Amino acid sequence: MKQILLITDGCSNVGESPVMAAAHARQDGITVNVIGVVDYGTIGELGSREIDDIAKAGGGLSRIVGTPQLAQTMQMMTRKTVVQTIQQAVNKEVKKILGEGSLDDLPPAKRSQVVTVVDELSETAPLRLALLIDASASMKPKLAAVEDAIRDLALSLEAREGDSEISVFHFPGSTSEAAVLDMDWSRNVSDIRTLFGKIRMKGATPTGPAIFKVLEHFGYDTLDEHQGRLAAHSDEGEGMPGGYVV
Amino acid sequence: MKEKGCLVGTSSNPPRSPGEVIVGKWRGNRYVVNRLLGKGANGTVYLVNRQGRREKYALKIGYDMLDLQSEINVLTSLQSCRVRRDQRTRGASPMSAYFLEADDASEGGFPFYVMRYVQGTPLHYFLSRKGSSWLGLIGLQLLDRLCGLHECGFIFGDLKPENVMVSEYGIAELIDFGGAGPISRSVKQFTEWHDRGYWNAGSRIGDESYDLFAFAVLCLRLLDEAGLQNASRQLPQTRSGDDLIKLAAQLPDKKLASWLRLALKGGFSTSAEARDMWKRHVYTSRHYKPEPMATPGWLTGAFALSLCLLAFTVYWIYHF
Repeated sequence: MKQILLITDGCSNVGESPVMAAAHARQDGITVNVIGVVDYGTIGELGSREIDDIAKAGGGLSRIVGTPQLAQTMQMMTRKTVVQTIQQAVNKEVKKILGEGSLDDLPPAKRSQVVTVVDELSETAPLRLALLIDASASMKPKLAAVEDAIRDLALSLEAREGDSEISVFHFPGSTSEAAVLDMDWSRNVSDIRTLFGKIRMKGATPTGPAIFKVLEHFGYDTLDEHQGRLAAHSDEGEGMPGGYVV
Repeated sequence: MKEKGCLVGTSSNPPRSPGEVIVGKWRGNRYVVNRLLGKGANGTVYLVNRQGRREKYALKIGYDMLDLQSEINVLTSLQSCRVRRDQRTRGASPMSAYFLEADDASEGGFPFYVMRYVQGTPLHYFLSRKGSSWLGLIGLQLLDRLCGLHECGFIFGDLKPENVMVSEYGIAELIDFGGAGPISRSVKQFTEWHDRGYWNAGSRIGDESYDLFAFAVLCLRLLDEAGLQNASRQLPQTRSGDDLIKLAAQLPDKKLASWLRLALKGGFSTSAEARDMWKRHVYTSRHYKPEPMATPGWLTGAFALSLCLLAFTVYWIYHF
Protein backbone atom coordinates (compact mmCIF):
# COMPACT_ATOMS: atom_id res chain seq x y z
CA MET A 1 0.00 0.00 0.00
CA LYS A 2 1.23 3.44 -0.83
CA GLN A 3 0.15 6.75 0.66
CA ILE A 4 1.13 10.39 0.47
CA LEU A 5 0.25 12.63 3.39
CA LEU A 6 0.38 16.32 2.48
CA ILE A 7 0.58 18.82 5.33
CA THR A 8 -0.01 22.42 4.29
CA ASP A 9 -1.54 25.67 5.46
CA GLY A 10 -2.71 27.37 2.35
CA CYS A 11 -3.18 27.52 -1.36
CA SER A 12 -0.68 26.45 -3.95
CA ASN A 13 0.47 29.30 -6.19
CA VAL A 14 3.12 27.92 -8.55
CA GLY A 15 3.20 25.23 -11.21
CA GLU A 16 0.81 22.46 -12.12
CA SER A 17 -2.48 21.97 -10.31
CA PRO A 18 -2.08 19.88 -7.14
CA VAL A 19 -5.50 18.37 -7.84
CA MET A 20 -4.21 16.98 -11.12
CA ALA A 21 -1.05 15.74 -9.42
CA ALA A 22 -3.20 13.92 -6.86
CA ALA A 23 -5.27 12.37 -9.65
CA HIS A 24 -2.04 11.07 -11.17
CA ALA A 25 -1.07 9.61 -7.79
CA ARG A 26 -4.37 7.79 -7.54
CA GLN A 27 -3.85 6.42 -11.03
CA ASP A 28 -0.52 5.02 -9.79
CA GLY A 29 -2.24 3.32 -6.86
CA ILE A 30 -1.11 5.91 -4.33
CA THR A 31 -3.70 7.44 -1.99
CA VAL A 32 -3.28 11.13 -1.14
CA ASN A 33 -4.43 12.45 2.25
CA VAL A 34 -4.30 16.14 3.12
CA ILE A 35 -4.14 17.95 6.45
CA GLY A 36 -4.52 21.70 6.63
CA VAL A 37 -2.82 23.10 9.74
CA VAL A 38 -4.24 26.33 11.07
CA ASP A 39 -3.45 27.74 14.49
CA TYR A 40 -4.72 31.29 14.23
CA GLY A 41 -7.44 32.52 11.96
CA THR A 42 -8.79 30.42 9.13
CA ILE A 43 -7.39 28.81 6.06
CA GLY A 44 -9.74 30.70 3.78
CA GLU A 45 -12.43 29.32 1.53
CA LEU A 46 -10.05 28.88 -1.38
CA GLY A 47 -7.47 27.03 0.68
CA SER A 48 -9.94 24.70 2.31
CA ARG A 49 -11.58 23.91 -1.02
CA GLU A 50 -8.20 23.06 -2.54
CA ILE A 51 -7.36 20.78 0.38
CA ASP A 52 -10.68 19.04 -0.09
CA ASP A 53 -10.22 18.72 -3.84
CA ILE A 54 -6.67 17.32 -3.60
CA ALA A 55 -7.89 14.61 -1.22
CA LYS A 56 -10.90 13.79 -3.41
CA ALA A 57 -8.72 13.50 -6.50
CA GLY A 58 -6.20 11.42 -4.56
CA GLY A 59 -8.85 9.07 -3.18
CA GLY A 60 -8.04 10.05 0.37
CA LEU A 61 -9.25 12.05 3.36
CA SER A 62 -8.86 15.70 4.25
CA ARG A 63 -9.08 17.61 7.50
CA ILE A 64 -8.25 21.03 8.83
CA VAL A 65 -6.87 21.04 12.38
CA GLY A 66 -4.74 23.05 14.79
CA THR A 67 -1.26 21.85 15.80
CA PRO A 68 -2.50 20.23 19.06
CA GLN A 69 -4.60 17.74 17.06
CA LEU A 70 -2.01 17.18 14.37
CA ALA A 71 -0.40 13.98 15.67
CA GLN A 72 -3.73 12.30 16.36
CA THR A 73 -5.16 13.32 13.00
CA MET A 74 -2.14 12.00 11.09
CA GLN A 75 -2.46 8.60 12.77
CA MET A 76 -6.21 8.42 12.30
CA MET A 77 -5.91 9.23 8.59
CA THR A 78 -3.10 6.81 7.91
CA ARG A 79 -4.89 4.03 9.72
CA LYS A 80 -8.26 4.71 8.08
CA THR A 81 -6.69 4.83 4.65
CA VAL A 82 -4.95 1.50 5.17
CA VAL A 83 -8.24 -0.05 6.22
CA GLN A 84 -10.09 1.54 3.30
CA THR A 85 -7.59 0.32 0.75
CA ILE A 86 -8.02 -3.21 2.07
CA GLN A 87 -11.78 -2.79 2.32
CA GLN A 88 -12.06 -1.70 -1.30
CA ALA A 89 -10.11 -4.74 -2.45
CA VAL A 90 -12.23 -7.00 -0.25
CA ASN A 91 -15.45 -5.36 -1.47
CA LYS A 92 -14.40 -6.16 -5.01
CA GLU A 93 -14.00 -9.80 -4.08
CA VAL A 94 -17.34 -9.81 -2.27
CA LYS A 95 -18.95 -8.35 -5.39
CA LYS A 96 -17.33 -11.04 -7.51
CA ILE A 97 -18.73 -13.76 -5.27
CA LEU A 98 -22.21 -12.34 -4.65
CA GLY A 99 -22.67 -10.64 -8.00
CA GLU A 100 -23.60 -7.39 -6.28
CA GLY A 101 -23.52 -5.56 -2.98
CA SER A 102 -20.66 -5.01 -0.57
CA LEU A 103 -19.47 -5.81 2.91
CA ASP A 104 -22.34 -3.84 4.44
CA ASP A 105 -24.90 -6.15 2.85
CA LEU A 106 -23.52 -9.39 4.31
CA PRO A 107 -25.37 -11.05 7.20
CA PRO A 108 -23.66 -10.44 10.58
CA ALA A 109 -21.94 -13.81 10.92
CA LYS A 110 -20.35 -13.65 7.44
CA ARG A 111 -19.46 -10.00 7.89
CA SER A 112 -17.70 -10.79 11.14
CA GLN A 113 -15.45 -13.27 9.34
CA VAL A 114 -14.66 -10.89 6.50
CA VAL A 115 -13.85 -8.05 8.91
CA THR A 116 -11.47 -10.36 10.78
CA VAL A 117 -9.61 -10.77 7.49
CA VAL A 118 -9.69 -7.01 6.79
CA ASP A 119 -8.26 -6.33 10.27
CA GLU A 120 -5.58 -8.94 9.74
CA LEU A 121 -4.51 -7.52 6.37
CA SER A 122 -4.64 -3.93 7.67
CA GLU A 123 -2.13 -4.90 10.33
CA THR A 124 0.17 -7.02 8.20
CA ALA A 125 0.14 -5.58 4.66
CA PRO A 126 3.31 -3.66 3.81
CA LEU A 127 2.89 0.13 3.84
CA ARG A 128 4.89 2.97 2.35
CA LEU A 129 4.01 6.47 3.47
CA ALA A 130 5.58 9.61 2.02
CA LEU A 131 5.06 12.75 4.10
CA LEU A 132 5.07 15.96 2.11
CA ILE A 133 5.47 19.02 4.29
CA ASP A 134 4.71 22.55 3.18
CA ALA A 135 7.65 24.62 4.48
CA SER A 136 6.64 27.97 3.04
CA ALA A 137 7.14 31.01 5.28
CA SER A 138 3.73 30.87 6.99
CA MET A 139 4.38 27.27 8.11
CA LYS A 140 7.56 28.15 9.99
CA PRO A 141 6.06 28.42 13.50
CA LYS A 142 4.31 25.07 13.01
CA LEU A 143 7.25 22.98 11.82
CA ALA A 144 8.36 21.93 15.31
CA ALA A 145 4.89 20.53 15.96
CA VAL A 146 4.91 18.82 12.56
CA GLU A 147 8.21 17.16 13.40
CA ASP A 148 6.90 15.87 16.75
CA ALA A 149 3.81 14.54 15.04
CA ILE A 150 5.92 12.73 12.45
CA ARG A 151 7.94 11.09 15.21
CA ASP A 152 4.74 10.02 16.93
CA LEU A 153 3.31 8.62 13.71
CA ALA A 154 6.52 6.69 13.08
CA LEU A 155 6.23 5.15 16.55
CA SER A 156 2.73 3.91 15.72
CA LEU A 157 3.81 2.51 12.35
CA GLU A 158 6.75 0.78 13.95
CA ALA A 159 4.27 -1.15 16.10
CA ARG A 160 2.53 -2.60 13.02
CA GLU A 161 3.26 -6.20 12.19
CA GLY A 162 3.63 -5.47 8.50
CA ASP A 163 6.62 -3.72 6.99
CA SER A 164 6.07 0.03 7.36
CA GLU A 165 8.32 2.64 5.83
CA ILE A 166 8.23 6.42 6.02
CA SER A 167 9.94 9.03 3.91
CA VAL A 168 9.81 12.79 4.43
CA PHE A 169 9.88 15.60 1.85
CA HIS A 170 9.48 19.33 2.22
CA PHE A 171 8.71 21.95 -0.38
CA PRO A 172 9.62 24.35 -1.92
CA GLY A 173 13.21 23.31 -2.61
CA SER A 174 16.15 25.55 -3.34
CA THR A 175 16.03 26.72 -6.97
CA SER A 176 15.21 24.07 -9.49
CA GLU A 177 13.74 21.38 -7.29
CA ALA A 178 10.06 21.38 -6.40
CA ALA A 179 10.57 19.32 -3.26
CA VAL A 180 13.52 18.15 -1.17
CA LEU A 181 13.95 14.68 0.31
CA ASP A 182 14.65 15.04 4.05
CA MET A 183 14.61 11.36 4.93
CA ASP A 184 14.54 8.37 2.60
CA TRP A 185 12.46 5.24 3.28
CA SER A 186 13.01 4.16 6.85
CA ARG A 187 11.53 1.64 9.26
CA ASN A 188 12.94 3.13 12.46
CA VAL A 189 11.70 6.03 14.55
CA SER A 190 15.26 6.59 15.70
CA ASP A 191 16.23 7.61 12.14
CA ILE A 192 14.11 10.72 12.51
CA ARG A 193 16.37 13.30 14.08
CA THR A 194 16.13 16.93 13.17
CA LEU A 195 14.28 17.09 9.91
CA PHE A 196 13.73 20.73 9.15
CA GLY A 197 16.63 22.29 11.03
CA LYS A 198 18.21 24.28 8.27
CA ILE A 199 15.39 25.08 5.89
CA ARG A 200 15.40 28.53 4.39
CA MET A 201 11.81 29.62 4.17
CA LYS A 202 10.44 30.95 0.94
CA GLY A 203 7.10 32.35 -0.01
CA ALA A 204 6.07 30.21 -2.97
CA THR A 205 3.92 27.11 -2.54
CA PRO A 206 4.38 24.76 -5.53
CA THR A 207 2.15 22.01 -4.14
CA GLY A 208 1.45 20.39 -7.51
CA PRO A 209 5.06 20.04 -8.66
CA ALA A 210 5.99 18.79 -5.17
CA ILE A 211 3.45 15.97 -5.39
CA PHE A 212 4.82 15.02 -8.81
CA LYS A 213 8.32 14.93 -7.32
CA VAL A 214 7.16 12.48 -4.62
CA LEU A 215 5.46 10.34 -7.27
CA GLU A 216 8.76 10.17 -9.10
CA HIS A 217 10.42 8.96 -5.94
CA PHE A 218 7.82 6.22 -5.53
CA GLY A 219 8.46 5.41 -9.20
CA TYR A 220 12.24 4.89 -8.87
CA ASP A 221 11.66 2.40 -6.13
CA THR A 222 9.04 0.46 -7.96
CA LEU A 223 11.43 0.16 -10.89
CA ASP A 224 14.06 -1.45 -8.68
CA GLU A 225 11.60 -3.82 -7.11
CA HIS A 226 9.91 -4.63 -10.38
CA GLN A 227 12.92 -6.54 -11.67
CA GLY A 228 12.40 -9.31 -9.16
CA ARG A 229 8.69 -9.28 -8.57
CA LEU A 230 7.21 -8.66 -11.97
CA ALA A 231 5.95 -12.18 -12.34
CA ALA A 232 4.63 -12.56 -8.80
CA HIS A 233 2.49 -9.43 -8.65
CA SER A 234 0.74 -8.76 -11.88
CA ASP A 235 -2.00 -6.44 -10.63
CA GLU A 236 -0.05 -3.96 -8.52
CA GLY A 237 -2.21 -1.15 -9.86
CA GLU A 238 -4.53 -1.33 -6.87
CA GLY A 239 -1.80 -0.15 -4.59
CA MET A 240 -1.83 -3.36 -2.59
CA PRO A 241 -0.10 -6.66 -3.15
CA GLY A 242 -2.02 -8.77 -5.61
CA GLY A 243 -1.45 -11.94 -3.66
CA TYR A 244 -4.16 -11.15 -1.15
CA VAL A 245 -7.40 -12.71 -2.20
CA VAL A 246 -10.04 -13.40 0.38
CA MET B 1 -11.86 12.09 15.47
CA LYS B 2 -14.09 10.33 12.99
CA GLU B 3 -14.74 12.77 10.25
CA LYS B 4 -16.05 11.20 7.12
CA GLY B 5 -14.01 11.52 4.00
CA CYS B 6 -15.19 10.92 0.50
CA LEU B 7 -14.47 7.20 0.60
CA VAL B 8 -16.18 6.21 3.80
CA GLY B 9 -19.40 4.48 2.90
CA THR B 10 -21.48 5.07 5.98
CA SER B 11 -22.83 8.51 6.67
CA SER B 12 -22.85 9.90 10.18
CA ASN B 13 -26.08 9.10 11.96
CA PRO B 14 -28.46 11.69 13.35
CA PRO B 15 -29.05 11.51 17.12
CA ARG B 16 -31.83 9.15 18.20
CA SER B 17 -34.64 10.69 20.20
CA PRO B 18 -36.33 9.11 23.24
CA GLY B 19 -39.21 6.83 22.33
CA GLU B 20 -37.79 5.97 18.92
CA VAL B 21 -37.85 2.26 18.08
CA ILE B 22 -34.82 0.61 16.50
CA VAL B 23 -35.67 -2.65 14.76
CA GLY B 24 -33.02 -5.22 13.86
CA LYS B 25 -32.99 -6.22 10.21
CA TRP B 26 -31.55 -9.71 10.71
CA ARG B 27 -32.85 -10.78 14.10
CA GLY B 28 -36.01 -8.69 14.29
CA ASN B 29 -35.67 -7.51 17.89
CA ARG B 30 -37.18 -4.13 18.71
CA TYR B 31 -35.49 -1.68 21.05
CA VAL B 32 -37.01 1.51 22.44
CA VAL B 33 -34.58 4.39 22.94
CA ASN B 34 -34.63 5.77 26.47
CA ARG B 35 -31.83 8.32 26.50
CA LEU B 36 -28.27 9.03 25.38
CA LEU B 37 -25.61 7.43 27.61
CA GLY B 38 -22.41 8.61 25.99
CA LYS B 39 -20.15 8.77 22.96
CA GLY B 40 -17.15 6.58 22.33
CA ALA B 41 -14.57 6.70 19.56
CA ASN B 42 -16.50 4.15 17.50
CA GLY B 43 -20.08 5.11 18.18
CA THR B 44 -22.87 6.52 20.31
CA VAL B 45 -24.38 4.56 23.19
CA TYR B 46 -28.06 4.77 24.17
CA LEU B 47 -30.00 3.34 27.07
CA VAL B 48 -32.77 1.15 25.62
CA ASN B 49 -35.25 -1.53 26.59
CA ARG B 50 -36.75 -4.34 24.53
CA GLN B 51 -40.19 -3.26 23.40
CA GLY B 52 -42.78 -4.48 25.89
CA ARG B 53 -40.19 -5.51 28.46
CA ARG B 54 -38.59 -3.88 31.45
CA GLU B 55 -34.90 -4.90 31.33
CA LYS B 56 -32.58 -2.11 30.30
CA TYR B 57 -29.70 -2.52 27.86
CA ALA B 58 -27.05 -0.31 26.33
CA LEU B 59 -27.20 -0.06 22.54
CA LYS B 60 -24.23 1.22 20.56
CA ILE B 61 -24.70 2.69 17.10
CA GLY B 62 -21.49 2.65 15.07
CA TYR B 63 -20.09 5.54 13.03
CA ASP B 64 -18.35 3.11 10.72
CA MET B 65 -19.33 -0.48 9.92
CA LEU B 66 -15.75 -1.80 9.93
CA ASP B 67 -14.73 -0.22 13.23
CA LEU B 68 -17.90 -1.39 14.94
CA GLN B 69 -17.61 -4.90 13.51
CA SER B 70 -14.02 -5.23 14.77
CA GLU B 71 -15.21 -4.17 18.20
CA ILE B 72 -18.01 -6.74 18.02
CA ASN B 73 -15.49 -9.40 16.97
CA VAL B 74 -13.35 -8.66 20.02
CA LEU B 75 -16.41 -8.79 22.29
CA THR B 76 -17.71 -12.07 20.89
CA SER B 77 -14.34 -13.82 21.09
CA LEU B 78 -13.92 -12.52 24.63
CA GLN B 79 -17.36 -13.84 25.45
CA SER B 80 -16.64 -17.33 24.14
CA CYS B 81 -13.27 -17.36 25.91
CA ARG B 82 -15.00 -16.48 29.17
CA VAL B 83 -17.66 -19.12 28.68
CA ARG B 84 -14.95 -21.75 28.18
CA ARG B 85 -13.14 -20.56 31.28
CA ASP B 86 -16.27 -20.44 33.40
CA GLN B 87 -17.12 -23.98 32.40
CA ARG B 88 -13.72 -25.00 33.68
CA THR B 89 -13.91 -23.13 36.95
CA ARG B 90 -17.71 -23.36 37.36
CA GLY B 91 -17.79 -19.84 38.69
CA ALA B 92 -20.01 -17.34 36.94
CA SER B 93 -18.06 -14.20 36.14
CA PRO B 94 -20.17 -11.04 36.07
CA MET B 95 -18.71 -10.14 32.69
CA SER B 96 -19.73 -13.31 30.89
CA ALA B 97 -22.95 -11.84 29.54
CA TYR B 98 -21.64 -8.45 28.48
CA PHE B 99 -22.46 -8.72 24.79
CA LEU B 100 -26.00 -9.63 23.69
CA GLU B 101 -26.42 -9.28 19.94
CA ALA B 102 -25.39 -7.34 16.86
CA ASP B 103 -27.67 -6.26 14.05
CA ASP B 104 -28.37 -3.60 11.42
CA ALA B 105 -31.29 -1.21 11.72
CA SER B 106 -34.07 -2.05 9.30
CA GLU B 107 -34.59 1.66 8.77
CA GLY B 108 -31.44 3.61 8.03
CA GLY B 109 -29.35 0.45 7.78
CA PHE B 110 -26.85 1.57 10.43
CA PRO B 111 -25.01 -1.16 12.34
CA PHE B 112 -25.51 -1.49 16.10
CA TYR B 113 -24.95 -3.91 18.92
CA VAL B 114 -26.63 -4.47 22.26
CA MET B 115 -24.80 -5.02 25.53
CA ARG B 116 -25.49 -5.21 29.22
CA TYR B 117 -26.21 -1.84 30.79
CA VAL B 118 -23.46 -1.01 33.25
CA GLN B 119 -24.95 1.42 35.73
CA GLY B 120 -22.63 3.71 37.62
CA THR B 121 -20.40 6.75 37.47
CA PRO B 122 -17.04 7.14 35.71
CA LEU B 123 -14.11 6.30 37.98
CA HIS B 124 -12.77 9.84 38.43
CA TYR B 125 -16.16 11.15 39.55
CA PHE B 126 -16.62 8.22 41.88
CA LEU B 127 -13.25 8.73 43.60
CA SER B 128 -13.59 12.49 43.88
CA ARG B 129 -16.93 11.97 45.60
CA LYS B 130 -16.11 9.01 47.80
CA GLY B 131 -12.43 9.58 48.51
CA SER B 132 -9.23 8.03 47.21
CA SER B 133 -9.24 5.34 49.92
CA TRP B 134 -11.44 3.37 47.50
CA LEU B 135 -8.57 3.07 45.02
CA GLY B 136 -7.11 -0.07 46.63
CA LEU B 137 -10.34 -1.99 46.07
CA ILE B 138 -11.26 -0.53 42.67
CA GLY B 139 -7.69 -1.00 41.44
CA LEU B 140 -7.80 -4.66 42.41
CA GLN B 141 -11.04 -5.17 40.49
CA LEU B 142 -9.64 -3.40 37.44
CA LEU B 143 -6.48 -5.52 37.49
CA ASP B 144 -8.71 -8.59 37.76
CA ARG B 145 -10.58 -7.49 34.63
CA LEU B 146 -7.33 -6.83 32.78
CA CYS B 147 -6.00 -10.26 33.76
CA GLY B 148 -9.15 -11.85 32.38
CA LEU B 149 -8.72 -9.99 29.09
CA HIS B 150 -5.03 -10.88 28.83
CA GLU B 151 -5.73 -14.56 29.53
CA CYS B 152 -8.05 -14.52 26.52
CA GLY B 153 -5.32 -12.99 24.36
CA PHE B 154 -6.54 -9.39 24.22
CA ILE B 155 -5.38 -6.06 25.56
CA PHE B 156 -7.75 -3.23 26.48
CA GLY B 157 -5.62 -0.48 24.94
CA ASP B 158 -7.39 2.76 25.79
CA LEU B 159 -7.48 2.43 29.58
CA LYS B 160 -8.46 5.69 31.32
CA PRO B 161 -10.85 6.76 34.10
CA GLU B 162 -13.52 7.69 31.55
CA ASN B 163 -13.64 4.06 30.40
CA VAL B 164 -14.20 2.64 33.88
CA MET B 165 -17.69 2.63 35.41
CA VAL B 166 -18.10 2.17 39.12
CA SER B 167 -21.43 1.16 40.62
CA GLU B 168 -22.86 2.85 43.70
CA TYR B 169 -21.34 0.17 45.93
CA GLY B 170 -17.89 0.05 44.41
CA ILE B 171 -17.97 -2.56 41.65
CA ALA B 172 -15.78 -1.47 38.73
CA GLU B 173 -16.34 -2.49 35.10
CA LEU B 174 -14.49 -1.65 31.90
CA ILE B 175 -16.65 -0.03 29.25
CA ASP B 176 -15.95 0.90 25.61
CA PHE B 177 -13.89 -1.89 24.05
CA GLY B 178 -13.20 0.22 20.95
CA GLY B 179 -9.46 0.21 21.66
CA ALA B 180 -9.24 -3.48 22.52
CA GLY B 181 -7.33 -5.80 20.23
CA PRO B 182 -5.25 -8.97 20.06
CA ILE B 183 -2.00 -9.07 22.03
CA SER B 184 1.15 -8.27 19.96
CA ARG B 185 -0.78 -6.13 17.44
CA SER B 186 -0.33 -2.37 17.24
CA VAL B 187 -2.57 -0.44 19.65
CA LYS B 188 -5.54 0.99 17.73
CA GLN B 189 -6.79 3.70 20.05
CA PHE B 190 -5.04 5.38 22.90
CA THR B 191 -5.14 8.58 24.93
CA GLU B 192 -1.95 10.65 25.12
CA TRP B 193 -1.42 10.68 28.88
CA HIS B 194 -2.02 6.97 29.25
CA ASP B 195 0.08 5.95 26.27
CA ARG B 196 3.51 4.40 26.80
CA GLY B 197 4.76 5.85 23.51
CA TYR B 198 3.79 9.38 24.53
CA TRP B 199 6.17 9.17 27.50
CA ASN B 200 8.98 7.68 25.40
CA ALA B 201 8.75 4.65 27.67
CA GLY B 202 8.25 1.92 25.08
CA SER B 203 6.53 0.84 21.89
CA ARG B 204 2.87 0.95 20.88
CA ILE B 205 2.72 -2.79 20.46
CA GLY B 206 -0.15 -4.05 22.60
CA ASP B 207 1.25 -6.29 25.31
CA GLU B 208 0.27 -6.87 28.94
CA SER B 209 2.62 -4.21 30.21
CA TYR B 210 1.05 -1.63 27.87
CA ASP B 211 -2.21 -1.95 29.82
CA LEU B 212 -0.34 -1.95 33.14
CA PHE B 213 1.45 1.26 32.16
CA ALA B 214 -1.87 2.89 31.29
CA PHE B 215 -3.27 1.64 34.60
CA ALA B 216 -0.35 3.19 36.51
CA VAL B 217 -0.92 6.54 34.79
CA LEU B 218 -4.60 6.20 35.66
CA CYS B 219 -3.65 5.90 39.35
CA LEU B 220 -1.33 8.91 39.11
CA ARG B 221 -4.05 10.91 37.38
CA LEU B 222 -6.53 10.08 40.14
CA LEU B 223 -4.11 10.93 42.95
CA ASP B 224 -2.04 13.78 41.51
CA GLU B 225 -3.57 15.21 38.34
CA ALA B 226 -1.74 18.53 38.69
CA GLY B 227 1.64 16.79 38.85
CA LEU B 228 0.82 14.74 35.76
CA GLN B 229 -0.30 17.85 33.91
CA ASN B 230 3.01 19.51 34.74
CA ALA B 231 5.06 16.55 33.58
CA SER B 232 3.21 16.43 30.26
CA ARG B 233 4.00 20.08 29.51
CA GLN B 234 7.63 19.36 28.59
CA LEU B 235 9.01 19.07 25.08
CA PRO B 236 8.03 15.76 23.51
CA GLN B 237 11.65 14.58 23.22
CA THR B 238 12.40 15.14 26.90
CA ARG B 239 9.28 13.48 28.28
CA SER B 240 10.14 10.21 29.91
CA GLY B 241 8.82 7.43 32.08
CA ASP B 242 11.18 8.66 34.81
CA ASP B 243 9.06 11.79 35.22
CA LEU B 244 6.14 9.56 36.08
CA ILE B 245 8.23 7.46 38.45
CA LYS B 246 9.24 10.66 40.25
CA LEU B 247 5.58 11.62 40.56
CA ALA B 248 4.80 8.21 41.99
CA ALA B 249 7.61 8.52 44.54
CA GLN B 250 5.98 11.67 45.92
CA LEU B 251 2.79 9.83 46.83
CA PRO B 252 2.25 9.37 50.57
CA ASP B 253 1.49 5.64 50.19
CA LYS B 254 4.94 4.10 49.74
CA LYS B 255 3.68 0.62 48.89
CA LEU B 256 1.54 2.02 46.11
CA ALA B 257 4.49 4.11 44.93
CA SER B 258 6.74 1.08 44.54
CA TRP B 259 4.01 -0.86 42.73
CA LEU B 260 3.53 2.03 40.30
CA ARG B 261 7.27 2.26 39.78
CA LEU B 262 7.38 -1.37 38.67
CA ALA B 263 4.40 -0.98 36.35
CA LEU B 264 5.85 2.17 34.76
CA LYS B 265 9.17 0.45 34.15
CA GLY B 266 7.50 -2.58 32.60
CA GLY B 267 8.80 -4.65 35.50
CA PHE B 268 5.91 -7.10 35.77
CA SER B 269 6.22 -10.12 33.51
CA THR B 270 2.46 -10.76 33.53
CA SER B 271 -0.60 -8.88 34.65
CA ALA B 272 -1.42 -11.78 37.01
CA GLU B 273 1.84 -11.05 38.83
CA ALA B 274 0.94 -7.35 38.95
CA ARG B 275 -2.48 -8.16 40.34
CA ASP B 276 -1.14 -10.46 43.06
CA MET B 277 1.41 -7.88 44.10
CA TRP B 278 -1.32 -5.20 44.26
CA LYS B 279 -3.51 -7.51 46.30
CA ARG B 280 -0.76 -8.34 48.79
CA HIS B 281 0.71 -4.88 49.25
CA VAL B 282 -1.54 -2.08 48.04
CA TYR B 283 -4.97 -3.56 48.67
CA THR B 284 -4.35 -5.10 52.12
CA SER B 285 -2.38 -2.16 53.40
CA ARG B 286 -5.36 0.04 52.68
CA HIS B 287 -7.78 -2.55 53.86
CA TYR B 288 -6.43 -2.87 57.40
CA LYS B 289 -5.16 0.61 57.92
CA PRO B 290 -6.89 1.99 61.03
CA GLU B 291 -8.16 5.50 60.63
CA PRO B 292 -5.83 7.77 62.61
CA MET B 293 -8.05 10.01 64.71
CA ALA B 294 -6.91 13.23 66.32
CA THR B 295 -7.81 13.60 70.00
CA PRO B 296 -10.24 16.50 70.31
CA GLY B 297 -9.05 19.46 72.36
CA TRP B 298 -11.88 19.33 74.87
CA LEU B 299 -10.99 15.72 75.73
CA THR B 300 -7.39 16.65 76.55
CA GLY B 301 -8.65 19.49 78.73
CA ALA B 302 -11.10 17.26 80.52
CA PHE B 303 -8.41 14.67 81.09
CA ALA B 304 -6.06 17.24 82.61
CA LEU B 305 -8.86 18.54 84.80
CA SER B 306 -9.67 15.04 86.07
CA LEU B 307 -5.97 14.47 86.87
CA CYS B 308 -5.90 17.67 88.89
CA LEU B 309 -9.06 16.61 90.67
CA LEU B 310 -7.53 13.23 91.49
CA ALA B 311 -4.36 14.80 92.84
CA PHE B 312 -6.39 17.21 94.88
CA THR B 313 -8.60 14.40 96.23
CA VAL B 314 -5.57 12.27 97.18
CA TYR B 315 -3.97 15.25 98.85
CA TRP B 316 -7.21 16.08 100.63
CA ILE B 317 -7.72 12.49 101.87
CA TYR B 318 -4.21 12.02 103.23
CA HIS B 319 -3.89 15.48 104.59
CA PHE B 320 -6.76 15.09 106.91
